[in-house]
Amino acid sequence: MSEKLAKLIFWGGTLSSLALFLALTVDTHRQFHALTHADQLDQRVVAGKKVFEKYNCNDCHTILGFGGYYAPDLTRAYSRLGEDAIVRRLEHPEVAFADSYRKMPQQHLRPEEIADLVAFLKWVSAIENHDWPPQDSVARWKRSTQNLIASATLSPGAALVKQENCLSCHSLGELGEKKGPRLEWIGARRDAAYIADYLANPEKLAPGAAMPAYDHLSPEQRRLIGEFVVSLAASHRR
Amino acid sequence: MTHKTQSIAYPYFVVSLLLFGLQVLVGLWLATNYFVTIPQSIVDAFPFSTARAFHTNLLVLWLLLGFMGATYYLVPEETNSEIYSPKLAIFQLVLLSATGVAALSGFVFGWTQGRPLLEIPRPLDLLVVIGALIFLFNVGMTIIRARRWTMTQGSLLAGLFFLAILYLFGIPFYRNLSVDWYYWWWVVHLWVEGAWELIAAAMTAYMLMKLTGVERSIVEKWLYVELGLFLFTGIAGTGHHYYWLGAPKYWLAVGGIFSALEPFPILLMVYDTWRDIKHRKEPMLPKLTWVYLVGGVVLHFLGAGLFGFAHTLPQINYYTHGSQVTVSHGHLAFYGAYVLLNLTFYYFAIPRIKGFPGFAYDEKTGHTAFWLTSLGVLGMSLAFAVAGVLQTYLERVQGQPYMLAAQPIRFWMFIAFVHGLVVVAGVFLIIKHLLTLKPAPQPAAA
Repeated sequence: MSEKLAKLIFWGGTLSSLALFLALTVDTHRQFHALTHADQLDQRVVAGKKVFEKYNCNDCHTILGFGGYYAPDLTRAYSRLGEDAIVRRLEHPEVAFADSYRKMPQQHLRPEEIADLVAFLKWVSAIENHDWPPQDSVARWKRSTQNLIASATLSPGAALVKQENCLSCHSLGELGEKKGPRLEWIGARRDAAYIADYLANPEKLAPGAAMPAYDHLSPEQRRLIGEFVVSLAASHRR
Repeated sequence: MTHKTQSIAYPYFVVSLLLFGLQVLVGLWLATNYFVTIPQSIVDAFPFSTARAFHTNLLVLWLLLGFMGATYYLVPEETNSEIYSPKLAIFQLVLLSATGVAALSGFVFGWTQGRPLLEIPRPLDLLVVIGALIFLFNVGMTIIRARRWTMTQGSLLAGLFFLAILYLFGIPFYRNLSVDWYYWWWVVHLWVEGAWELIAAAMTAYMLMKLTGVERSIVEKWLYVELGLFLFTGIAGTGHHYYWLGAPKYWLAVGGIFSALEPFPILLMVYDTWRDIKHRKEPMLPKLTWVYLVGGVVLHFLGAGLFGFAHTLPQINYYTHGSQVTVSHGHLAFYGAYVLLNLTFYYFAIPRIKGFPGFAYDEKTGHTAFWLTSLGVLGMSLAFAVAGVLQTYLERVQGQPYMLAAQPIRFWMFIAFVHGLVVVAGVFLIIKHLLTLKPAPQPAAA
């Protein structure tokens, strides 16, 4: 190989790659607005991002898959946990993770900081990123719950979930609200007996939880709800 | 050593080695966090996040100080002149070290920019930029004054120049998280797979010329090809970080294709080294320097090339992104590509700075230290890889919640910790060996 050819390879390789990269960067900027729903990006969300940085959350948690790998990814934390569960974890991590073998530091966030963080996580959860991460993929949850919703009339647990209006706080597939954690996620973490106990007295198992007690239900009814929720777990449907 | 001011490199090497020692110690603590339940009171005072900021910032700081020291050693010989201002070079070292110490102390008290790897608060960023400008000015003036230009120092200087420019993209506050990460990678990816590769290739080419006696024209010709391929694959290859951050879908194709080509320039680097060795005019001595040089080239290919390729395709990366698989690749790649490069350079330069006869030194404990550290890092990376594959399958494929999937990983983090102990032992031996390097024992005269 001649030195001239070597130099040609250097400049040709570098400049062609750079030109492509810069051109795509310009185009990406044109699309960011729509893909990230930047019209929803208000002062609250920006304040939340500043809180997120102030407490260095990102060196334990990943977000969009980037950061520390020590704690769960936060990209879809809002659609997985819901507002109340996020607030509870931020207010009293020492209580929320008392039984966990990894702890979250108590950093004494002010109430408005917590509200800002929730707004930030809510905005992040809507970023269109080709449905990553897979464990929080709504498309996948939708698939795993479709059958159950279709057979709801046959399942007494599902009927109870409907009767007690659980989806006015919790989400399930594409349905429901995002006040409390997603039912599929609860189903993957807990067994039916735990869920039945929780329904009887949430305060006992999760001090500070926003959920009311469902002690007007019989133990048998609470067990049926527990079994239904456990059956929703993505890992059980594959 | 042919010029007096080359010895400026030595204090840079010493400071960087001490920071390296601290970095691996903090690494042990990080691994402990994964298999021992740390009490809430300790977590409140010194959380994992702070320790991680220590571990990564120390890595970047000590590698950069090593690169800068190597530059101060290399430029006088390449330009055949003394460094423009030795006093400025020492001031720069003091400034950057003080900034580093201030940043680490700040992290403990929660003073942080709060972005992974770029935690250094913005006021201190300014000091880093001043330090970098002093460095570029000092080296630039040396070259301008000498009016002697070589390809090797050109590559080195270009690398250091882009390194400084790219750092600027990490300083502003970005309102939009996706835009934030888009430019975060301009610092992190374009450093390690762009600017730093220019520096690494130049340092390696320089040492190969000196150690093998192969002509400059041949080494530098292949350096052009190598760098052309590095930058061709590396620049557009940034796209492999843009798959899941809210960027358009074409990044999956661009990132996938260009990063699939990324092992090739590293393979060419392996081939170049092998060819220079084959055509060498000098014996391969000292042996330990060569163990480091070849070890670095091989582990660069394994850690950055193969471990990187293993999870760079979007179809795989969808499941492995942001898991312990990344940790595995990160440790082996940094060790193979940059840690060993700096250590090779220290073993190359220190005997010359100290004026040992024949540049030979007492290698005894050096070999043990190399193998302890390298096998330790390799074992640790494999343990992380097992943890990563488990996490990928349990959490991402099966859909188990994070902490449930993390349960079986605890054992593999313990295995990583055990290898970490070996690494720490090896690193401390390396530091001791390098800081107390002695000339090779003369054959007994009597």
